[in-house]
Amino acid sequence: MISGFQIAYKNLLRKKSRTLLTLVGIMLSSWVLVSLLGFNRGYESALNRDIDNMGYQLMVMAKGCPYEAATMMLQGGTGLRYIEQSMVDSIVIRPEVDKVTPILMQAFFDPDKGDGGGIAGYFGVDLTTFPTMKPFFRFRQGGWFHDEQATEAVMGFEAAELEQREVGDMILVPEKNVQLKVVGILERTGTQDDGTIFVPLKTLQRISGIDKITTIGIKVKKDADSAKLEAALYQLPDVQVVSFTQVKQTIMKLVATARVMVLSIAIIALLIAMVGVVNTILMSVLERLQEIGILKTMGAMPGDIFRLVWTETLILCFSGGVAGIGLAFVFARLSDILVRRVLPYAPGGELVAIDLKLALLTLAVIVVVGLLSGIYPAWKAGRVRPLESIRGE
Amino acid sequence: MKGKAFLKIFLTAFLLFFAAAVPAFAAVGCDLNDPDRDVVRLFPDSTGYKTSYAAIDKRGGEPLLRRVEQRLRDRFHGIYETIDVPYTIYEIYNGKRKVGYIHGVNQKGQFGGIQVFVALDMEGRIKSFYIQKMTSQWAKKLRDPKFGRQFTGLALKDFEAYDPATGKASGKVAEIRNPAPEAEIDFRAALRALKKNLILIDEFVFSAERGKP
Repeated sequence: MISGFQIAYKNLLRKKSRTLLTLVGIMLSSWVLVSLLGFNRGYESALNRDIDNMGYQLMVMAKGCPYEAATMMLQGGTGLRYIEQSMVDSIVIRPEVDKVTPILMQAFFDPDKGDGGGIAGYFGVDLTTFPTMKPFFRFRQGGWFHDEQATEAVMGFEAAELEQREVGDMILVPEKNVQLKVVGILERTGTQDDGTIFVPLKTLQRISGIDKITTIGIKVKKDADSAKLEAALYQLPDVQVVSFTQVKQTIMKLVATARVMVLSIAIIALLIAMVGVVNTILMSVLERLQEIGILKTMGAMPGDIFRLVWTETLILCFSGGVAGIGLAFVFARLSDILVRRVLPYAPGGELVAIDLKLALLTLAVIVVVGLLSGIYPAWKAGRVRPLESIRGE
Repeated sequence: MKGKAFLKIFLTAFLLFFAAAVPAFAAVGCDLNDPDRDVVRLFPDSTGYKTSYAAIDKRGGEPLLRRVEQRLRDRFHGIYETIDVPYTIYEIYNGKRKVGYIHGVNQKGQFGGIQVFVALDMEGRIKSFYIQKMTSQWAKKLRDPKFGRQFTGLALKDFEAYDPATGKASGKVAEIRNPAPEAEIDFRAALRALKKNLILIDEFVFSAERGKP
């Protein structure tokens, strides 16, 4: 015996073009919806990951330092401002602070790097604290320095590539003519670390003849009040605080605004698709009034007719939803690339994160909204009077 | 049948698109820092240039790599001297007439990467030799135009007998003087880079123009 589902399926096949167009509408809406929800989730976690990968959320540096860092890059390392290394001790005792790492940034002018010369940037880092701030670092070759005074260097991926260095090779610090042995080459991180040469802090201090530092990187405890810590740090003499939390919040606000707009468009697209569903099912009901009347004369109850028409809606929405979600999965990378082109700042990693849970949630939304849209045509079909409909024909 | 053909085309296009979208972490090439300025300096009579790219893996794969190594008399080594390095070739024009080529290679030096460029006329003779970047205490001497002028007029055939591993040379190449004897490693590296440079441009450009590999 033929089931209600089979009847509904065959009914939909009667008008193939109309059914196909409705399916395409639902499919596109599902695709947009699941991609947007995936982006909503992916972007935030990618941004959080990027911020966490920086290792520290706050940086303390001498007042005016960022501007002078730019000057340093342009003019060859003159006029940098420094802070006392003892400041690290006064920061690390604060309850909000998880970890602290002192950094010395130095730039040396290399007259033989291109025609007008160029700058070679070095980061003096503390062997005991810096690696723990960068747990995502992976070594392509070798590892960290052997001790805090070692005349050794770890090179970022691009720095090593430019200098054609491998572990065991030597590099020469321009201006100072000090040789350092390369002990580690990092994998590409997609951050500024790729172009950096890391040297033990004390070694770089010795080479530069400076016992101070330029920056203190601070990792804040997860539940700590970052704003409070920031305010407290501003009380330290002659320093300024750069907070990645602020940067993150600003980016998230921008993205949230864009997200609301795009989500509105997705909801409108969904509504248009559902109007298409109502139209298709209603047309199908109106074309089959006589047939429904005959079914009723044969004993079909209004509930049976309602279920039959509703099943058609269910088939349309479910098939369109599954197809749209499938497309979203298949083209997730393409969506990722397009989103990256559009956004002013795109963090690394997966931006459009679609998983099974999200797919099922979207499918449920599509089916529920679809079934709600199908209530009116199904109700109308259920109310058909058999004799009138047969006579009407 | 039509459906199957369409499916095949769709799948191929799909795979090609996504293969092209894979982030390229290929080996690094060697470009002029400021081509507009450098081309005019190396070819004062030029009015324009075109840029093209070539890589051993795309032009001939392993057999070409073996041939280049054989001609170089040295193997490609290290993690940066690989078969997929993209080489930038600058074709130089005077009006519509092609007047020469500029081509550069990266070479491992004692303390850093050396970028060696060579400007060639249409017969493959060296017009200019230029070290764009070198990290060494004695880099100034090796980057001095006086050192570069020793190579003017030489061609690949003059370097055929040069052995980069031992530094042994004959003929005109043997007469080239190292202005910084303390930087013998970098001097030899520069010569190896130059020979490799000439071989590559011969394989990529002149052999193709002669119509045989």
